[in-house]
Amino acid sequence: MTAYAELHALSNFTFLRGASHPEELVETAASLGYEALAITDECSVSGVVRAHMAAKEGGLGNLKLIVGSEFCLETSLKLVVLAKSHEGYAALCRLITQGRRAAKKGSYKLTADDFRDGLHDCLVLWVPGNQLFLGAEDAWITEVFSGRLWIAVELLTDGLERLRLERLQHLSRALNLPLVACGDVHMHSRERRALQDTLTAIREGVTLDRAGFALYPNGERYLRSRKSISKIYPRELLQETVRIADSIRFSLDELRYEYPDELVPAGETPTSWLRQLTEEGMQKRWPAGTPGKVMALVEHELELIRDLRYEAFFLTVYDIVSFARRQHILCQGRGSAANSAVCFCLGITEVDPERMATLVERFISKERNEPPDIDVDFEHERREEVIQYIYQKYGRERAALAATVITYRPRSALRDIGKALGLSGLQVDRLARSMQWWDGQEVDDSRVLEAGLDPASPLIRRLLYLVRQVMGFPRHLSQHVGGFVISNGPLSELVPVENATMADRTVIQWEKNDLEDLGLLKVDVLGLGMLTAIRRSFDLIRDFDGREYTLASVPAEDPLVYDMICEGDTMGVFQIESRAQMAMLPRLKPRCYYDLVIEVAIIRPGPIQGDMVHPYLRRRSGEEPVEYPSDEVREVLQRTLGVPIFQEQVMQLAVVAAGFTPGEADRLRRAMAAWKRRGGLGPFEEKLIRGMQERGYKEDFARQIFQQILGFGEYGFPESHSASFALLVYVSCWLKCHEPAAFTCALLNSQPMGFYSASQLTQDARRHGVSVRPVDVNESGWDSSLERTQNGKPALRLGLRQVKGLPAAAGEAVISKRESPYTSIQQLLERTNLDRRELSALAAAGALKSLAGHRHKVRWTVAGVEEPTPLFASLDRYEAVPMLRRPTEGQDIVADYQSLGLTLGRHPVALLRKQLDTWRYVAAAELGGLTSGRHICIAGLVITKQRPGTASGVTFVTLEDETGCSNLIIWKKIAEEQRDVLLNARLMGVQGELQREGKVIHVIARTLTDHSALLGELSVKSRDFR
Amino acid sequence: MLVSAEAAAVFEEQQGIRRILKANAKAREAGISPGLAVNAALALVPSLKLEERNPIREAQVLKNLAEWSEKFTAFTSIDGPSLLLLEIEGSRKLFGGIKPLRERIVRGLQSQGFHVEVAIAPTPLAATWLARSGQKVCIRDPRNLVGKLGPLPIHCLHWPDNVCKLLRGMGVTSIGEVLRLPRQGFAKRFSATRLLELDRALGRMPDPRVSYRAPERFVADFDLNEEESDSALLLNICQELLMRLERFLLSRQMAVQQIEFVFFHLQVPATHLPLGCVRADRAVQHWFDLLEIKFDRLALAAPVIAIQLRSGEGQRFTAETDALPFNKPERQQRNVSIAHLAERLSARIGEEAVHGVMTVAEYRPQHAWQRRNVFDGVPHCANVQGCELYSDTPGLLAGVRRTNSLVLQRPLWMLQKPEQLVTEQEMPCYQGRLELVEGPERLETGWWDDDGIARDYFIARNPRGVYLWVFRDRCQVGGRRNSWYLHGMFG
Repeated sequence: MTAYAELHALSNFTFLRGASHPEELVETAASLGYEALAITDECSVSGVVRAHMAAKEGGLGNLKLIVGSEFCLETSLKLVVLAKSHEGYAALCRLITQGRRAAKKGSYKLTADDFRDGLHDCLVLWVPGNQLFLGAEDAWITEVFSGRLWIAVELLTDGLERLRLERLQHLSRALNLPLVACGDVHMHSRERRALQDTLTAIREGVTLDRAGFALYPNGERYLRSRKSISKIYPRELLQETVRIADSIRFSLDELRYEYPDELVPAGETPTSWLRQLTEEGMQKRWPAGTPGKVMALVEHELELIRDLRYEAFFLTVYDIVSFARRQHILCQGRGSAANSAVCFCLGITEVDPERMATLVERFISKERNEPPDIDVDFEHERREEVIQYIYQKYGRERAALAATVITYRPRSALRDIGKALGLSGLQVDRLARSMQWWDGQEVDDSRVLEAGLDPASPLIRRLLYLVRQVMGFPRHLSQHVGGFVISNGPLSELVPVENATMADRTVIQWEKNDLEDLGLLKVDVLGLGMLTAIRRSFDLIRDFDGREYTLASVPAEDPLVYDMICEGDTMGVFQIESRAQMAMLPRLKPRCYYDLVIEVAIIRPGPIQGDMVHPYLRRRSGEEPVEYPSDEVREVLQRTLGVPIFQEQVMQLAVVAAGFTPGEADRLRRAMAAWKRRGGLGPFEEKLIRGMQERGYKEDFARQIFQQILGFGEYGFPESHSASFALLVYVSCWLKCHEPAAFTCALLNSQPMGFYSASQLTQDARRHGVSVRPVDVNESGWDSSLERTQNGKPALRLGLRQVKGLPAAAGEAVISKRESPYTSIQQLLERTNLDRRELSALAAAGALKSLAGHRHKVRWTVAGVEEPTPLFASLDRYEAVPMLRRPTEGQDIVADYQSLGLTLGRHPVALLRKQLDTWRYVAAAELGGLTSGRHICIAGLVITKQRPGTASGVTFVTLEDETGCSNLIIWKKIAEEQRDVLLNARLMGVQGELQREGKVIHVIARTLTDHSALLGELSVKSRDFR
Repeated sequence: MLVSAEAAAVFEEQQGIRRILKANAKAREAGISPGLAVNAALALVPSLKLEERNPIREAQVLKNLAEWSEKFTAFTSIDGPSLLLLEIEGSRKLFGGIKPLRERIVRGLQSQGFHVEVAIAPTPLAATWLARSGQKVCIRDPRNLVGKLGPLPIHCLHWPDNVCKLLRGMGVTSIGEVLRLPRQGFAKRFSATRLLELDRALGRMPDPRVSYRAPERFVADFDLNEEESDSALLLNICQELLMRLERFLLSRQMAVQQIEFVFFHLQVPATHLPLGCVRADRAVQHWFDLLEIKFDRLALAAPVIAIQLRSGEGQRFTAETDALPFNKPERQQRNVSIAHLAERLSARIGEEAVHGVMTVAEYRPQHAWQRRNVFDGVPHCANVQGCELYSDTPGLLAGVRRTNSLVLQRPLWMLQKPEQLVTEQEMPCYQGRLELVEGPERLETGWWDDDGIARDYFIARNPRGVYLWVFRDRCQVGGRRNSWYLHGMFG
């Protein structure tokens, strides 16, 4: 059998063409004994890092991975370009960047001119289709690529191979170009044929039976065995593939990049400059003198940074953070490096290293050899300013966002494939809809039945077969939320850059993981709504009575704040506001900062699935002894009472207990993230368990640790992030506890964010004694604001921004023209020039009540206003005023909800109370006085539904009535039996059993009833979370 | 359809979703209500009979009803998609009073399968609104209008949604409340035309309507003095009738697509001879040519005593520009003559026997072409480029055309069903052992329906020198893998 190297293969990163993952191609090519495999996605290298990692891992023989790309020019000329060296790779990336930047997102445009500079150190294959001649307009390729151009011969059993080969041999002689065998590979195995056809139909936007010749006639475009290849191709064509592969000497491992050097002023080295900035910061943080312990820590860290040459990275982050500070944008860093003393001195984080005394492993270590990790959170509404600063400072050539690969999920897969198979739009919709937000990754037969389709019919079987295959396939590149790559030289020589959907954004073709895999550094610039809310709270307090606060100066460790947290009274605060968190707080009873660090990390899918929550709670309350199998393990787990809660602990355990090297532990972390997709941790499992047994641990313990690691999966939360988050948790809780009016006001002005709607937040504030005042054109600003009440306390005035359908410009006009209070709607109009639609929005919100009375009257008046004319501007026109009925209370509440999303009137459920009483529903406030185990009925508006992927199918539902909220637990079985009600009810009645555990009260639901009809037009939306 | 005993419903596409518009009693019993998505309805009643709403047909039906109602009144008017206005004051006496007249109209409509809402009022608008509200009232005195219209909800007005929404937002929900609003203020907010509408409904302003007129058709009789069976004479009479038709159409700038001759006999039922053509026409010669062909084959049951010519509905005549003599004949011209040929052919051998062929972009040979009706106009080919992919050039191996493009071979003569071949030492035989000349061409496709294939096609030659198109089946069905089949022959 002749040796063979495949030089033309597309992965599924050629979206809607390739039908196999890059990893699958690499693994198959290796197992077939190919010499080399070129991944040549169309105008893209998005998939090569995955292929590269697959080729490096798991002993796949010596398959050589070649980086290349396929291009189709406007003249239909098709070329495959292979990078021969690092230089060739840079040229290829430049070319891809050029083509992508010249076209709109998702496509590219290249002409002969783009190739004129010759693609130095690249090899080029010309792929003739059915036109077996080189057109005059394409003849330039023989000159430009002279000496490194081949004709690709692709014989795919289409009945024309003999003729094709004959003609191409003739052409080869005529043009004096060598021939080489290629496979035009679109999939790793022929079993993907149906999927490949389907992807083609999706791409063409037609159903399969209409796709016609856009499809391939057969499934020969797969990685064929060497045996069948040698039957099809002449020997010398196969030998040529290997010759080409051998001449290529580029590997992605060669890529390194340099951080920008303009961050250091002349005369300084990065090392000396970082030291100077750190020392300056130290003086600011400890004006009275730095504690010796911190000093030693800083010294140690600076040394480490110097050894690993990470100065430029810290300086880059420092530069961005300083910019934000100058612009008064609140920000905070998190991640392993962020919790260093150096970062505290540089102002990247506000977490005082002294406060973090319990944190042992807080910094990058030389042994772990992982790139430093700093994510910086900024106020979500002002992050764009930071992003534009980075673009401006480094230029588009040197800074770009990492990509996020958007992949097929059940719903999108059903939609696309259903359509391609010819299901009607309606059927596809129904099917997709029945796969509601809470169904996991798998498609369930019973859902198909529910959508009125027969899961046994051939059509549906095909559909589900294809859907399962396509799940996880990349669909398009999107931008990462904020992962920036900044380089010293042009970025486009490192990785291609393409246009993002947003104007003024560019993304690279690699994901965050790809960058990590290659050891390239990136800075995450993220947006966080809570930072916006906190900064606004600080501003509101300052403007109200002059008190100044910063993240660092909010009084620490206030027992009143922890009392509030222990009550579970945390609606609106950062992180610990979800239902699951609220239910956990009274049990966990956090009393100090580090408790919050644990709280943030423990109520996450990882620790829940790994069953760490209950052991931790039992140990904390002293119901269970805390034991350690060895001193090493004690070292790692002591701060969390012997239960691994943080991602770092799992990796440290692997090192100290199972003898992993730090590098292996890091690979384990990655494998953890992907084990579900790949079905197991593979070699790690055995190594871990054997390693632990060898070190004298019992197999039971080893198994238990392994199970916990599996449970962690991709959801393990790092302590280094939790530590930074905990500070924001504390600050937001302090604000809620001591400044509820300012805090609620800031939250309203920062919407949308968090778990709760404006309605719930204002109701919560009112329950806490904050007086909330209605929207009024004569009183409200654009934002909600604080007004002084008679007793000097702040009251919350709703802002015009709450008014649905009122543009900001119109709101500004209302405020800026309010020299004196408005006395009539006509006057408001004359001063502000609002159009009728804007006036109607104000009318609907009840904001004109002080000018014209109840909503019916206001609407009549607004409908009758006339455009002001200069001549008669001040003439009062007399008009007969009709007798209009007052709106009922219910109508007003409906109107409030429709326009403002909240009401200051009675709660809608209060209006229905009489009716609800006859059905024996109790109110939420009454639950506290009832005994556990009692059978009760309760009804309320459905305000949140949450089904954590981890809670073994439990759905948490929160109902709200005029007295407060009640929490339901709906077991999987009940949820499935009464799915319709659960999904659709806006007003839900529940029969069930009261369950009380200390202060936590739940209702275990038995029967659900949909009472939405009672609500009429009232539009209440539930917020649904996974 | 909705009167059928089985569950049936009419649907309409609304924003991309097909929804039930109306359901009959049987369907309603099963829980199918207007607004329900079609699929949801099918889930409830899998055997539900469905028909898509057809506004053109509805308009036609309404026109027919307008014609029908002319027997009750001289003045009928069509208003909107589902409303007929009949002026009945004038014919009241003729039918013995209002009640009997109403009864007759309602029963007449019901017997034709329609659901009827009837209201009688002194003004057309008042009657309209009352009918929409479903109230069977009869108001004869205009002074009663305010009292009867007042309680009606405002949706009966059929004013645009935003207007109704605004009114409701002011707490105005009935026509009575609308009427109580100050006139000037109302006109300013809701336009003077709406005020005029209210005034018309109450009879304060006149409300003239356009009367419906049925379209014209041509009907002409020719009575013979005595029974006649001489075909030459009959044809002459027909020609005479056709000339009258032509004059009729000419004077109205019209043409027709269908006409019918009826030959009456004394003893037996009349013989009908319908004629149709592709494009609407009025030329005597054209119709006469068609008539001659058909008349030839027409067996008259008995001698003829009278002949009638009826035309179908007239269409506006569009004249063809004749090509100037020095211009090349245009393609369109050729199409017309092919159309004429098709007309004549189908007049002679029957419409079912004449059809066109079109190619389809499909790899599967059995699906690669389709019949199409010649009268269907331009063929719709899914992928026109694809039609270039194949050739049936006689020179069998001339696979490479002048343009240097590769082209696949397909035989002109294809078997309806592939014929299984016997094999001899694993080689197929057809009048002797076959020699495989070209191939394989592997086709694996069509898996998405139940007619998928996985075959290797070859061009083969048998000992007699005949080139055949054969394939080896790669599907594993009942162990028949690798069987050989004959699928076509090259010319």
